[in-house]
Amino acid sequence: MPEQSEFSDRKTIFFITVLSAACALVLAILASCLAQPKKEAKELDQTKEILVATQIYNKLTGTFQIEESPHRWQMAKYSKNGQLVASDVAVKATPEEILAVARARIKPFLVDSEGNSFSFQEKRINFDHYLLDNKKTGYADLPLKLAYEILPNPDGKAASKPVGYIIPINGMGLWDRIYGYMAIAPNGVDVIGISWYDQKETPGLGGNIAEPIWQKLFVGKKIFVLDPHAPGDLVRAPIGITIVKGKVKDVLGDSPRAVAAVDGMAGATLTGNGVTKAYHSSLDPYRPFFIRLHSQEGSSHGS
Amino acid sequence: MDHKESTLSYFTNQLFSQNQILVAILGICSALGVTSRIPPAIAMGLSVTFVTSFSCFFVSMFRRQTPDSVRMITQLAFISLFTIVIDQVLQAYYFSISKVLSVYVGLIITNCILMGRTEGMAKNVSPLPAFLDGLGAGLGYTFVLVSVAAIREFFGFGQLLGYQIIPTAWYGTAANPHGYQNFTLMVSPPASFFILGTMIFLMKTLQSRKKR
Repeated sequence: MPEQSEFSDRKTIFFITVLSAACALVLAILASCLAQPKKEAKELDQTKEILVATQIYNKLTGTFQIEESPHRWQMAKYSKNGQLVASDVAVKATPEEILAVARARIKPFLVDSEGNSFSFQEKRINFDHYLLDNKKTGYADLPLKLAYEILPNPDGKAASKPVGYIIPINGMGLWDRIYGYMAIAPNGVDVIGISWYDQKETPGLGGNIAEPIWQKLFVGKKIFVLDPHAPGDLVRAPIGITIVKGKVKDVLGDSPRAVAAVDGMAGATLTGNGVTKAYHSSLDPYRPFFIRLHSQEGSSHGS
Repeated sequence: MDHKESTLSYFTNQLFSQNQILVAILGICSALGVTSRIPPAIAMGLSVTFVTSFSCFFVSMFRRQTPDSVRMITQLAFISLFTIVIDQVLQAYYFSISKVLSVYVGLIITNCILMGRTEGMAKNVSPLPAFLDGLGAGLGYTFVLVSVAAIREFFGFGQLLGYQIIPTAWYGTAANPHGYQNFTLMVSPPASFFILGTMIFLMKTLQSRKKR
Protein backbone atom coordinates (compact mmCIF):
# COMPACT_ATOMS: atom_id res chain seq x y z
CA MET A 1 0.00 0.00 0.00
CA PRO A 2 1.56 3.37 -0.96
CA GLU A 3 1.98 6.10 1.61
CA GLN A 4 -0.95 8.43 2.03
CA SER A 5 1.22 11.49 1.45
CA GLU A 6 1.73 10.39 -2.16
CA PHE A 7 -1.79 11.58 -2.91
CA SER A 8 -2.38 15.30 -2.83
CA ASP A 9 -5.90 16.67 -2.41
CA ARG A 10 -5.94 17.62 -6.05
CA LYS A 11 -5.10 14.06 -7.11
CA THR A 12 -7.78 12.67 -4.84
CA ILE A 13 -10.44 14.96 -6.27
CA PHE A 14 -9.27 14.13 -9.78
CA PHE A 15 -9.47 10.37 -9.07
CA ILE A 16 -12.97 10.54 -7.63
CA THR A 17 -14.24 12.75 -10.46
CA VAL A 18 -12.90 10.41 -13.14
CA LEU A 19 -14.25 7.35 -11.30
CA SER A 20 -17.75 8.83 -10.92
CA ALA A 21 -17.83 9.98 -14.53
CA ALA A 22 -16.71 6.55 -15.76
CA CYS A 23 -19.32 4.72 -13.65
CA ALA A 24 -22.04 7.15 -14.75
CA LEU A 25 -21.07 6.66 -18.40
CA VAL A 26 -21.20 2.86 -18.13
CA LEU A 27 -24.60 2.97 -16.44
CA ALA A 28 -25.99 5.50 -18.92
CA ILE A 29 -24.96 3.34 -21.88
CA LEU A 30 -26.38 0.24 -20.21
CA ALA A 31 -29.67 1.97 -19.40
CA SER A 32 -30.18 3.18 -22.96
CA CYS A 33 -29.28 -0.24 -24.40
CA LEU A 34 -31.65 -2.06 -22.07
CA ALA A 35 -34.56 0.40 -22.24
CA GLN A 36 -36.30 -1.42 -25.09
CA PRO A 37 -35.81 -5.01 -23.80
CA LYS A 38 -36.96 -3.84 -20.35
CA LYS A 39 -40.13 -2.29 -21.74
CA GLU A 40 -40.86 -5.40 -23.79
CA ALA A 41 -40.19 -7.68 -20.83
CA LYS A 42 -42.62 -5.69 -18.73
CA GLU A 43 -45.36 -5.73 -21.37
CA LEU A 44 -44.87 -9.44 -22.01
CA ASP A 45 -45.08 -10.10 -18.31
CA GLN A 46 -48.32 -8.14 -17.98
CA THR A 47 -49.81 -10.03 -20.93
CA LYS A 48 -48.70 -13.31 -19.35
CA GLU A 49 -50.40 -12.38 -16.10
CA ILE A 50 -53.67 -11.52 -17.82
CA LEU A 51 -53.56 -14.96 -19.49
CA VAL A 52 -52.75 -16.54 -16.11
CA ALA A 53 -55.89 -14.97 -14.62
CA THR A 54 -57.99 -16.35 -17.48
CA GLN A 55 -56.36 -19.81 -17.11
CA ILE A 56 -55.21 -19.73 -20.73
CA TYR A 57 -51.55 -19.80 -19.66
CA ASN A 58 -50.07 -21.89 -16.86
CA LYS A 59 -47.14 -20.12 -15.21
CA LEU A 60 -45.93 -23.21 -13.37
CA THR A 61 -45.41 -25.30 -16.49
CA GLY A 62 -44.95 -22.40 -18.93
CA THR A 63 -47.50 -23.92 -21.32
CA PHE A 64 -50.89 -22.93 -22.67
CA GLN A 65 -53.96 -24.80 -21.47
CA ILE A 66 -57.57 -25.27 -22.56
CA GLU A 67 -60.54 -26.04 -20.36
CA GLU A 68 -61.60 -29.62 -20.94
CA SER A 69 -64.44 -29.73 -18.42
CA PRO A 70 -65.31 -27.23 -15.66
CA HIS A 71 -62.19 -26.49 -13.56
CA ARG A 72 -60.13 -29.11 -15.37
CA TRP A 73 -57.50 -27.84 -17.75
CA GLN A 74 -55.47 -29.71 -20.31
CA MET A 75 -52.07 -28.75 -21.66
CA ALA A 76 -52.24 -27.14 -25.08
CA LYS A 77 -49.92 -25.80 -27.72
CA TYR A 78 -50.16 -22.93 -30.16
CA SER A 79 -51.38 -23.77 -33.64
CA LYS A 80 -52.02 -20.57 -35.62
CA ASN A 81 -53.96 -17.28 -35.54
CA GLY A 82 -54.18 -17.38 -31.77
CA GLN A 83 -55.69 -20.85 -31.79
CA LEU A 84 -54.70 -23.49 -29.24
CA VAL A 85 -54.91 -27.25 -29.66
CA ALA A 86 -54.69 -29.89 -26.94
CA SER A 87 -51.25 -31.44 -26.53
CA ASP A 88 -50.06 -34.40 -24.47
CA VAL A 89 -46.48 -33.21 -24.22
CA ALA A 90 -45.48 -29.93 -22.59
CA VAL A 91 -44.69 -27.35 -25.28
CA LYS A 92 -43.42 -24.11 -23.75
CA ALA A 93 -45.21 -21.01 -25.00
CA THR A 94 -42.91 -18.52 -26.73
CA PRO A 95 -43.27 -14.76 -26.15
CA GLU A 96 -44.65 -14.27 -29.70
CA GLU A 97 -47.30 -16.95 -29.16
CA ILE A 98 -48.33 -15.44 -25.83
CA LEU A 99 -48.80 -12.01 -27.43
CA ALA A 100 -50.69 -13.53 -30.39
CA VAL A 101 -53.11 -15.45 -28.15
CA ALA A 102 -53.73 -12.34 -26.05
CA ARG A 103 -54.40 -10.26 -29.20
CA ALA A 104 -56.87 -12.84 -30.49
CA ARG A 105 -58.76 -13.54 -27.30
CA ILE A 106 -58.55 -10.60 -24.86
CA LYS A 107 -60.56 -7.52 -25.92
CA PRO A 108 -60.73 -4.39 -23.76
CA PHE A 109 -63.99 -2.46 -23.42
CA LEU A 110 -65.57 0.14 -21.15
CA VAL A 111 -68.29 -0.24 -18.54
CA ASP A 112 -70.31 2.68 -17.12
CA SER A 113 -71.82 2.96 -13.64
CA GLU A 114 -75.15 1.53 -14.84
CA GLY A 115 -73.48 -1.61 -16.18
CA ASN A 116 -73.71 -0.67 -19.89
CA SER A 117 -70.72 -1.63 -21.99
CA PHE A 118 -69.10 0.39 -24.79
CA SER A 119 -66.19 -0.18 -27.12
CA PHE A 120 -63.24 2.22 -27.08
CA GLN A 121 -64.15 3.39 -30.62
CA GLU A 122 -67.69 4.25 -29.57
CA LYS A 123 -66.38 6.56 -26.86
CA ARG A 124 -63.49 7.81 -29.03
CA ILE A 125 -60.94 7.01 -26.36
CA ASN A 126 -57.38 5.97 -27.13
CA PHE A 127 -56.81 2.69 -25.28
CA ASP A 128 -53.06 3.15 -24.69
CA HIS A 129 -53.46 6.67 -23.28
CA TYR A 130 -56.42 5.64 -21.15
CA LEU A 131 -54.42 2.72 -19.74
CA LEU A 132 -51.39 4.86 -18.93
CA ASP A 133 -53.26 7.87 -17.52
CA ASN A 134 -55.28 5.87 -15.01
CA LYS A 135 -52.88 3.11 -13.99
CA LYS A 136 -51.99 4.67 -10.64
CA THR A 137 -55.51 5.52 -9.48
CA GLY A 138 -57.14 2.41 -10.86
CA TYR A 139 -60.05 2.09 -13.25
CA ALA A 140 -62.86 1.16 -10.88
CA ASP A 141 -63.83 4.69 -9.83
CA LEU A 142 -63.81 6.23 -13.31
CA PRO A 143 -67.16 7.01 -14.99
CA LEU A 144 -66.01 4.65 -17.75
CA LYS A 145 -64.31 1.65 -16.17
CA LEU A 146 -61.95 -0.76 -17.85
CA ALA A 147 -62.86 -4.42 -18.38
CA TYR A 148 -61.77 -7.11 -20.82
CA GLU A 149 -63.80 -9.86 -22.40
CA ILE A 150 -62.30 -13.30 -22.89
CA LEU A 151 -63.19 -14.81 -26.25
CA PRO A 152 -63.34 -18.59 -26.66
CA ASN A 153 -60.48 -20.49 -28.31
CA PRO A 154 -60.98 -19.76 -32.04
CA ASP A 155 -61.71 -23.27 -33.32
CA GLY A 156 -63.19 -22.33 -36.69
CA LYS A 157 -66.76 -22.22 -35.48
CA ALA A 158 -68.10 -18.68 -35.32
CA ALA A 159 -68.93 -18.45 -31.64
CA SER A 160 -68.10 -14.96 -30.44
CA LYS A 161 -69.89 -15.12 -27.09
CA PRO A 162 -67.36 -14.27 -24.36
CA VAL A 163 -66.36 -17.09 -22.02
CA GLY A 164 -65.55 -14.67 -19.25
CA TYR A 165 -64.60 -11.14 -18.25
CA ILE A 166 -61.49 -9.66 -16.67
CA ILE A 167 -61.59 -6.86 -14.12
CA PRO A 168 -58.36 -4.95 -13.36
CA ILE A 169 -57.65 -4.92 -9.61
CA ASN A 170 -55.80 -2.08 -7.88
CA GLY A 171 -55.00 -1.67 -4.24
CA MET A 172 -52.44 -1.15 -1.55
CA GLY A 173 -50.39 -4.01 -0.15
CA LEU A 174 -48.16 -3.82 2.88
CA TRP A 175 -45.35 -1.86 1.18
CA ASP A 176 -46.66 -0.42 -2.05
CA ARG A 177 -49.45 -0.44 -4.60
CA ILE A 178 -50.45 -3.83 -5.99
CA TYR A 179 -51.86 -4.37 -9.47
CA GLY A 180 -53.62 -7.46 -10.75
CA TYR A 181 -56.47 -9.04 -12.63
CA MET A 182 -59.47 -11.14 -11.75
CA ALA A 183 -61.23 -13.22 -14.41
CA ILE A 184 -64.92 -13.82 -13.80
CA ALA A 185 -67.24 -16.35 -15.47
CA PRO A 186 -70.08 -15.11 -17.76
CA ASN A 187 -72.55 -15.49 -14.86
CA GLY A 188 -70.86 -12.54 -13.10
CA VAL A 189 -70.31 -14.50 -9.89
CA ASP A 190 -67.78 -17.33 -10.28
CA VAL A 191 -64.05 -16.62 -10.27
CA ILE A 192 -62.09 -18.13 -13.19
CA GLY A 193 -58.73 -17.10 -11.81
CA ILE A 194 -56.59 -14.25 -10.52
CA SER A 195 -53.09 -12.88 -10.94
CA TRP A 196 -50.95 -9.95 -9.80
CA TYR A 197 -48.61 -8.34 -12.28
CA ASP A 198 -46.99 -5.63 -10.21
CA GLN A 199 -46.39 -5.91 -6.47
CA LYS A 200 -43.58 -5.19 -4.05
CA GLU A 201 -44.65 -7.36 -1.12
CA THR A 202 -42.02 -9.12 0.98
CA PRO A 203 -40.45 -11.87 -1.13
CA GLY A 204 -41.32 -15.28 0.29
CA LEU A 205 -44.14 -13.92 2.48
CA GLY A 206 -46.66 -11.43 1.07
CA GLY A 207 -44.86 -11.82 -2.24
CA ASN A 208 -46.53 -15.23 -2.47
CA ILE A 209 -49.64 -13.48 -3.83
CA ALA A 210 -47.77 -13.74 -7.14
CA GLU A 211 -47.31 -17.52 -6.75
CA PRO A 212 -49.57 -19.78 -8.86
CA ILE A 213 -49.97 -22.16 -5.91
CA TRP A 214 -51.75 -19.53 -3.86
CA GLN A 215 -53.63 -18.04 -6.83
CA LYS A 216 -55.13 -21.47 -7.52
CA LEU A 217 -57.16 -21.15 -4.30
CA PHE A 218 -59.38 -18.55 -5.98
CA VAL A 219 -60.59 -20.81 -8.77
CA GLY A 220 -64.32 -21.45 -8.43
CA LYS A 221 -64.85 -18.99 -5.57
CA LYS A 222 -67.85 -16.65 -5.71
CA ILE A 223 -67.26 -12.92 -5.63
CA PHE A 224 -70.48 -12.25 -3.68
CA VAL A 225 -71.62 -13.66 -0.36
CA LEU A 226 -74.90 -15.06 -1.67
CA ASP A 227 -77.87 -15.24 0.66
CA PRO A 228 -78.77 -18.97 0.81
CA HIS A 229 -82.46 -18.00 0.73
CA ALA A 230 -82.16 -15.66 -2.26
CA PRO A 231 -79.10 -16.75 -4.23
CA GLY A 232 -80.07 -14.62 -7.23
CA ASP A 233 -80.15 -11.36 -5.30
CA LEU A 234 -76.85 -9.68 -6.18
CA VAL A 235 -78.08 -6.17 -5.37
CA ARG A 236 -77.86 -6.65 -1.64
CA ALA A 237 -75.19 -9.37 -1.54
CA PRO A 238 -71.91 -7.96 -0.23
CA ILE A 239 -68.65 -8.50 -2.13
CA GLY A 240 -67.26 -11.54 -0.42
CA ILE A 241 -63.69 -12.16 -1.60
CA THR A 242 -61.79 -12.27 1.69
CA ILE A 243 -58.34 -13.49 2.63
CA VAL A 244 -58.81 -15.07 6.03
CA LYS A 245 -56.08 -15.54 8.62
CA GLY A 246 -55.38 -19.27 8.49
CA LYS A 247 -57.49 -21.88 6.72
CA VAL A 248 -61.01 -21.08 5.51
CA LYS A 249 -62.44 -24.32 6.87
CA ASP A 250 -61.09 -23.56 10.35
CA VAL A 251 -62.14 -19.90 10.42
CA LEU A 252 -65.50 -19.90 8.64
CA GLY A 253 -66.56 -23.56 8.59
CA ASP A 254 -69.77 -23.97 6.60
CA SER A 255 -70.80 -20.30 6.77
CA PRO A 256 -72.07 -18.84 3.45
CA ARG A 257 -69.01 -16.56 3.54
CA ALA A 258 -66.73 -19.58 3.06
CA VAL A 259 -67.57 -19.85 -0.66
CA ALA A 260 -65.95 -16.44 -1.19
CA ALA A 261 -63.06 -16.77 1.26
CA VAL A 262 -59.50 -17.87 0.55
CA ASP A 263 -56.81 -19.33 2.84
CA GLY A 264 -54.36 -16.71 4.10
CA MET A 265 -50.58 -16.89 3.72
CA ALA A 266 -48.54 -17.62 6.84
CA GLY A 267 -46.66 -14.53 7.96
CA ALA A 268 -48.46 -12.21 5.55
CA THR A 269 -51.64 -11.12 7.32
CA LEU A 270 -51.25 -7.46 6.38
CA THR A 271 -50.72 -8.24 2.70
CA GLY A 272 -53.84 -10.43 2.93
CA ASN A 273 -55.83 -7.54 4.37
CA GLY A 274 -54.59 -5.26 1.58
CA VAL A 275 -55.58 -7.84 -1.03
CA THR A 276 -59.06 -8.20 0.49
CA LYS A 277 -59.50 -4.42 0.43
CA ALA A 278 -58.23 -4.22 -3.15
CA TYR A 279 -60.84 -6.74 -4.32
CA HIS A 280 -63.66 -4.99 -2.47
CA SER A 281 -62.84 -1.51 -3.76
CA SER A 282 -62.10 -2.71 -7.31
CA LEU A 283 -65.09 -5.05 -7.73
CA ASP A 284 -67.88 -3.13 -6.02
CA PRO A 285 -68.13 -0.35 -8.68
CA TYR A 286 -68.72 -3.05 -11.32
CA ARG A 287 -71.73 -4.46 -9.42
CA PRO A 288 -74.36 -3.20 -11.95
CA PHE A 289 -72.34 -4.91 -14.70
CA PHE A 290 -72.22 -8.21 -12.76
CA ILE A 291 -75.97 -8.00 -12.06
CA ARG A 292 -76.64 -7.51 -15.75
CA LEU A 293 -74.42 -10.51 -16.63
CA HIS A 294 -76.13 -12.61 -14.00
CA SER A 295 -79.65 -11.84 -15.20
CA GLN A 296 -78.66 -12.43 -18.86
CA GLU A 297 -77.11 -15.78 -17.96
CA GLY A 298 -80.22 -16.74 -15.95
CA SER A 299 -82.60 -15.87 -18.78
CA SER A 300 -80.54 -17.66 -21.43
CA HIS A 301 -80.59 -20.80 -19.27
CA GLY A 302 -84.34 -20.46 -18.73
CA SER A 303 -85.25 -20.15 -22.40
CA MET B 1 -2.34 -15.74 4.78
CA ASP B 2 0.33 -18.31 3.96
CA HIS B 3 2.29 -17.25 0.89
CA LYS B 4 3.06 -20.82 -0.09
CA GLU B 5 -0.61 -21.49 -0.73
CA SER B 6 -1.64 -21.49 -4.35
CA THR B 7 -3.72 -18.75 -5.93
CA LEU B 8 -6.61 -21.18 -6.05
CA SER B 9 -6.70 -21.35 -2.25
CA TYR B 10 -8.15 -17.81 -2.26
CA PHE B 11 -11.17 -19.39 -3.91
CA THR B 12 -11.41 -22.62 -1.91
CA ASN B 13 -10.91 -20.96 1.50
CA GLN B 14 -13.91 -18.73 0.91
CA LEU B 15 -16.14 -21.62 -0.05
CA PHE B 16 -16.13 -23.36 3.28
CA SER B 17 -13.48 -22.79 5.92
CA GLN B 18 -13.82 -18.97 5.73
CA ASN B 19 -17.47 -18.98 4.64
CA GLN B 20 -18.83 -15.45 4.90
CA ILE B 21 -22.15 -16.38 6.45
CA LEU B 22 -21.13 -19.33 8.64
CA VAL B 23 -17.74 -18.09 9.85
CA ALA B 24 -17.66 -14.31 9.36
CA ILE B 25 -21.43 -13.99 10.10
CA LEU B 26 -21.89 -11.43 7.31
CA GLY B 27 -24.75 -11.04 4.82
CA ILE B 28 -27.35 -12.50 7.17
CA CYS B 29 -30.16 -10.08 6.24
CA SER B 30 -30.72 -11.28 2.69
CA ALA B 31 -30.08 -14.86 3.80
CA LEU B 32 -33.18 -14.52 5.96
CA GLY B 33 -35.30 -12.85 3.30
CA VAL B 34 -35.04 -14.88 0.13
CA THR B 35 -34.70 -18.41 1.43
CA SER B 36 -38.26 -19.66 1.66
CA ARG B 37 -37.80 -21.50 -1.66
CA ILE B 38 -34.79 -22.67 -3.67
CA PRO B 39 -35.07 -20.76 -7.02
CA PRO B 40 -34.92 -17.21 -5.55
CA ALA B 41 -32.06 -18.35 -3.30
CA ILE B 42 -30.08 -19.53 -6.34
CA ALA B 43 -30.76 -16.32 -8.28
CA MET B 44 -29.84 -14.16 -5.30
CA GLY B 45 -26.66 -16.16 -4.66
CA LEU B 46 -25.52 -15.90 -8.26
CA SER B 47 -26.26 -12.16 -8.37
CA VAL B 48 -24.17 -11.62 -5.25
CA THR B 49 -21.42 -13.81 -6.73
CA PHE B 50 -21.34 -11.67 -9.86
CA VAL B 51 -21.10 -8.45 -7.85
CA THR B 52 -18.47 -9.70 -5.36
CA SER B 53 -16.17 -11.20 -7.98
CA PHE B 54 -16.19 -8.22 -10.35
CA SER B 55 -16.10 -5.47 -7.75
CA CYS B 56 -13.18 -7.26 -6.03
CA PHE B 57 -11.42 -7.51 -9.38
CA PHE B 58 -11.77 -3.81 -10.18
CA VAL B 59 -11.02 -2.59 -6.65
CA SER B 60 -7.83 -4.61 -6.82
CA MET B 61 -6.95 -3.38 -10.30
CA PHE B 62 -7.11 0.26 -9.20
CA ARG B 63 -5.63 -0.37 -5.73
CA ARG B 64 -2.38 1.53 -6.50
CA GLN B 65 -4.21 4.54 -7.93
CA THR B 66 -6.83 4.76 -5.19
CA PRO B 67 -6.06 7.44 -2.56
CA ASP B 68 -6.38 5.89 0.89
CA SER B 69 -8.72 8.62 2.12
CA VAL B 70 -11.42 7.76 -0.44
CA ARG B 71 -10.87 4.00 -0.71
CA MET B 72 -14.24 3.04 0.78
CA ILE B 73 -16.13 5.41 -1.50
CA THR B 74 -14.26 3.86 -4.42
CA GLN B 75 -15.19 0.35 -3.31
CA LEU B 76 -18.81 1.39 -2.93
CA ALA B 77 -18.76 2.95 -6.40
CA PHE B 78 -17.70 -0.36 -7.96
CA ILE B 79 -20.14 -2.36 -5.84
CA SER B 80 -23.06 -0.08 -6.80
CA LEU B 81 -22.03 -0.15 -10.45
CA PHE B 82 -22.19 -3.94 -10.65
CA THR B 83 -25.32 -4.17 -8.52
CA ILE B 84 -27.15 -1.81 -10.88
CA VAL B 85 -25.83 -3.75 -13.88
CA ILE B 86 -27.16 -7.07 -12.56
CA ASP B 87 -30.47 -5.48 -11.53
CA GLN B 88 -30.99 -3.97 -15.00
CA VAL B 89 -30.00 -7.17 -16.80
CA LEU B 90 -32.38 -9.22 -14.66
CA GLN B 91 -35.19 -6.76 -15.37
CA ALA B 92 -34.56 -6.88 -19.10
CA TYR B 93 -33.92 -10.59 -19.67
CA TYR B 94 -35.02 -12.50 -16.54
CA PHE B 95 -38.09 -10.51 -15.58
CA SER B 96 -39.77 -13.28 -13.60
CA ILE B 97 -36.70 -13.76 -11.37
CA SER B 98 -36.32 -10.02 -10.86
CA LYS B 99 -39.97 -9.91 -9.76
CA VAL B 100 -39.37 -12.53 -7.09
CA LEU B 101 -36.18 -10.91 -5.77
CA SER B 102 -37.55 -7.34 -6.03
CA VAL B 103 -35.82 -5.10 -3.47
CA TYR B 104 -33.20 -7.63 -2.46
CA VAL B 105 -31.21 -7.16 -5.67
CA GLY B 106 -30.83 -3.43 -5.04
CA LEU B 107 -29.91 -4.20 -1.46
CA ILE B 108 -26.84 -6.17 -2.59
CA ILE B 109 -25.10 -2.78 -2.36
CA THR B 110 -25.52 -2.82 1.42
CA ASN B 111 -24.62 -6.50 1.78
CA CYS B 112 -21.80 -6.62 4.32
CA ILE B 113 -19.97 -9.36 2.42
CA LEU B 114 -19.17 -6.90 -0.39
CA MET B 115 -17.46 -4.27 1.76
CA GLY B 116 -15.92 -7.06 3.80
CA ARG B 117 -14.18 -8.66 0.81
CA THR B 118 -13.17 -5.45 -0.99
CA GLU B 119 -11.79 -3.81 2.16
CA GLY B 120 -10.48 -6.98 3.79
CA MET B 121 -8.89 -8.65 0.77
CA ALA B 122 -9.21 -7.06 -2.67
CA LYS B 123 -7.40 -3.80 -1.83
CA ASN B 124 -4.32 -5.74 -0.69
CA VAL B 125 -3.82 -8.35 -3.41
CA SER B 126 -3.49 -8.46 -7.18
CA PRO B 127 -6.59 -8.73 -9.43
CA LEU B 128 -6.64 -12.51 -10.04
CA PRO B 129 -6.55 -13.60 -6.38
CA ALA B 130 -9.03 -10.82 -5.60
CA PHE B 131 -11.40 -12.08 -8.28
CA LEU B 132 -11.12 -15.67 -7.04
CA ASP B 133 -11.62 -14.52 -3.46
CA GLY B 134 -14.79 -12.66 -4.45
CA LEU B 135 -16.03 -15.57 -6.53
CA GLY B 136 -15.47 -17.97 -3.63
CA ALA B 137 -17.18 -15.65 -1.16
CA GLY B 138 -20.20 -15.36 -3.45
CA LEU B 139 -20.46 -19.08 -4.11
CA GLY B 140 -20.02 -19.83 -0.40
CA TYR B 141 -22.93 -17.46 0.24
CA THR B 142 -24.96 -19.18 -2.47
CA PHE B 143 -24.27 -22.58 -0.96
CA VAL B 144 -25.54 -21.51 2.47
CA LEU B 145 -28.61 -19.76 1.00
CA VAL B 146 -29.57 -22.79 -1.05
CA SER B 147 -29.09 -25.15 1.92
CA VAL B 148 -31.35 -23.03 4.12
CA ALA B 149 -33.90 -22.71 1.30
CA ALA B 150 -33.90 -26.47 0.68
CA ILE B 151 -34.62 -27.19 4.35
CA ARG B 152 -37.36 -24.54 4.47
CA GLU B 153 -38.99 -25.61 1.22
CA PHE B 154 -38.91 -29.30 2.17
CA PHE B 155 -40.47 -28.89 5.61
CA GLY B 156 -42.59 -25.82 4.86
CA PHE B 157 -44.14 -26.91 1.56
CA GLY B 158 -43.21 -30.61 1.29
CA GLN B 159 -41.52 -29.73 -1.99
CA LEU B 160 -38.09 -29.22 -3.52
CA LEU B 161 -37.69 -26.82 -6.47
CA GLY B 162 -41.48 -26.75 -6.72
CA TYR B 163 -41.87 -30.55 -7.07
CA GLN B 164 -43.91 -32.35 -4.44
CA ILE B 165 -41.56 -34.64 -2.47
CA ILE B 166 -43.74 -35.63 0.46
CA PRO B 167 -46.61 -37.64 -1.12
CA THR B 168 -49.89 -35.74 -1.01
CA ALA B 169 -51.56 -38.95 0.18
CA TRP B 170 -49.77 -38.62 3.53
CA TYR B 171 -51.36 -35.26 4.27
CA GLY B 172 -54.09 -34.93 6.88
CA THR B 173 -57.59 -34.33 5.54
CA ALA B 174 -61.00 -33.90 7.12
CA ALA B 175 -61.38 -37.70 7.03
CA ASN B 176 -57.91 -38.32 8.39
CA PRO B 177 -57.10 -35.43 10.74
CA HIS B 178 -53.98 -37.10 12.15
CA GLY B 179 -52.13 -37.21 8.83
CA TYR B 180 -48.99 -35.27 7.96
CA GLN B 181 -49.06 -31.48 7.96
CA ASN B 182 -46.59 -28.96 6.63
CA PHE B 183 -44.42 -27.33 9.29
CA THR B 184 -45.74 -23.79 8.81
CA LEU B 185 -43.06 -22.24 11.05
CA MET B 186 -40.58 -23.10 8.29
CA VAL B 187 -42.32 -20.72 5.89
CA SER B 188 -42.07 -17.74 8.21
CA PRO B 189 -38.84 -15.72 8.59
CA PRO B 190 -37.88 -16.93 12.11
CA ALA B 191 -37.22 -20.37 10.62
CA SER B 192 -34.17 -19.09 8.77
CA PHE B 193 -32.84 -17.74 12.08
CA PHE B 194 -33.10 -21.19 13.64
CA ILE B 195 -31.61 -22.99 10.64
CA LEU B 196 -28.78 -20.49 10.18
CA GLY B 197 -28.06 -20.56 13.92
CA THR B 198 -27.83 -24.34 13.87
CA MET B 199 -25.59 -24.27 10.80
CA ILE B 200 -23.25 -21.72 12.42
CA PHE B 201 -23.16 -23.84 15.57
CA LEU B 202 -22.25 -26.97 13.58
CA MET B 203 -19.57 -25.04 11.69
CA LYS B 204 -17.97 -23.68 14.87
CA THR B 205 -18.01 -27.12 16.49
CA LEU B 206 -16.41 -28.65 13.41
CA GLN B 207 -13.69 -25.99 13.23
CA SER B 208 -12.81 -26.09 16.93
CA ARG B 209 -12.57 -29.87 16.78
CA LYS B 210 -10.21 -29.62 13.80
CA LYS B 211 -7.95 -27.17 15.66
CA ARG B 212 -7.59 -29.62 18.53
